[in-house]
Amino acid sequence: MPTRSSPIKYRPTVWDALIAAAIIALGLLAAVLFYTKNARGGSAIVTVSVAGEVAERAALSQFDGDHVYTGNGYTLTVSAHDGEIFVSHSDCGGQDCVHTGAISRIGQSIVCLPAQIVIRLESASPGDADVIVG
Amino acid sequence: MKTTCKRLAAACVAVLAALSLPACGERKTAELELFAMDTYMSFTAYGNRAEEALAEAGRTINELEQRLSRTREGSEIWTLNAQGCADISPDTAELIGQALAYAAQTGGAFDITVAPLVELWGITTDTPRVPAKAEIDALLPLVGSKHLTLTRSDPALTVFDTAVLDPGCAVDLGGIAKGYAADRVADILEKYGVSDAVASLGGNVYVRGTRPDGTPWRVAIQDPLQNGCAAMLTLSDTFVVTSGGYQRFFADPDGTIYQHILDPATGYPVQSDLLSVTVVCPDGARADAYSTALYVMGEAKAASFWQSCQAEVEPFEMVLITADHRIVCTSGLADNFTEQEDASYAYEILAH
Repeated sequence: MPTRSSPIKYRPTVWDALIAAAIIALGLLAAVLFYTKNARGGSAIVTVSVAGEVAERAALSQFDGDHVYTGNGYTLTVSAHDGEIFVSHSDCGGQDCVHTGAISRIGQSIVCLPAQIVIRLESASPGDADVIVG
Repeated sequence: MKTTCKRLAAACVAVLAALSLPACGERKTAELELFAMDTYMSFTAYGNRAEEALAEAGRTINELEQRLSRTREGSEIWTLNAQGCADISPDTAELIGQALAYAAQTGGAFDITVAPLVELWGITTDTPRVPAKAEIDALLPLVGSKHLTLTRSDPALTVFDTAVLDPGCAVDLGGIAKGYAADRVADILEKYGVSDAVASLGGNVYVRGTRPDGTPWRVAIQDPLQNGCAAMLTLSDTFVVTSGGYQRFFADPDGTIYQHILDPATGYPVQSDLLSVTVVCPDGARADAYSTALYVMGEAKAASFWQSCQAEVEPFEMVLITADHRIVCTSGLADNFTEQEDASYAYEILAH
């Protein structure tokens, strides 16, 4: 007469606990790696582009002084002091870039349309603005 | 032994699954910058076809500029202004149709036929000037939607293909074209399955989906009085447009400041009790037109207009920054609005 084996009863062991702990630890590690990578760059980065091409990129803290850029036949002097950046002189007609005044916050930019020069303050820090209207 | 092997296999599967988690967050990112429509535009999109989408967006914006520019010789609008009549593409017809509708809704506070006055003041040129009152008065009768008509060259057509202006009149789509372009960009992103993106077309912003960390996009409103931001909005799947006179302006030799938005009713730059108006709504062109109109209206009329629109099919939300240092936010944005601690404003919520 054939016998039927009784169902296997699983009981958690120390090994199971270790594997569960390893899974949790790896999950946390993966999450930390992912989010820290995306949060990198908390300090402001200055990017100056001329006609769509990046002409200069530096940390705001290392950008102090006057910087001269030429685009589309116009010349701008971009000045940086004490964490603020502004166009101190431009030979463009409208002077909108000069009127913009100083920028110091992530997401802010100064645009000179005639010269096609854009000065941006960027960061990937999650707490900063993605875009500024106005 | 068999049990140990099973455990090791399970552990390997778990390790592989855990290591693949970061890859879930990796998406293709595409960026585009361009100078078009008399402004600077930047786009960031996330998704497998984001690069294709932005390439098409760039082409579309350049095509729109070719058609809609008032100053580009040979454009549909240049031809319309020069000849009083022009064949127009479906895009231009749709945009003019929307502009006429918004002019009617806002009682003429937004009006694309203000072009003769824009030209007179030299607002968009390197040599703006203050005209004599007689010059302004002479052009005021040319302003008004009644001077612009859309027609069909063939009655069988289902869309308008011709625009006609009264003699001496002209149109300027500068107050709505970027918003319309933002609408087209949104359509293109949808077509390519781009789930998340942020686009800035001058003062016109479109936010789609979420930021890479899954939270809503953070849209800051520029402080018109000082360096920094006056408020922060957390938003998804909407358009945000700000109008104000604090960046584009010119000074008369006597020192008087004239900003660039003209009041179609007076022919003079707006003398508003508002410093800026930010409109949030699901249509780019409407947000663009309304932001200009509300700035022209001033605070009291803007609030009444918002109230009246809430009862209709196309409500919108807004943030007003007033000259007496208040920020008025409509109730629909209350949960998306964050005050800025270092901004010197009193904050108010405008309820129904």
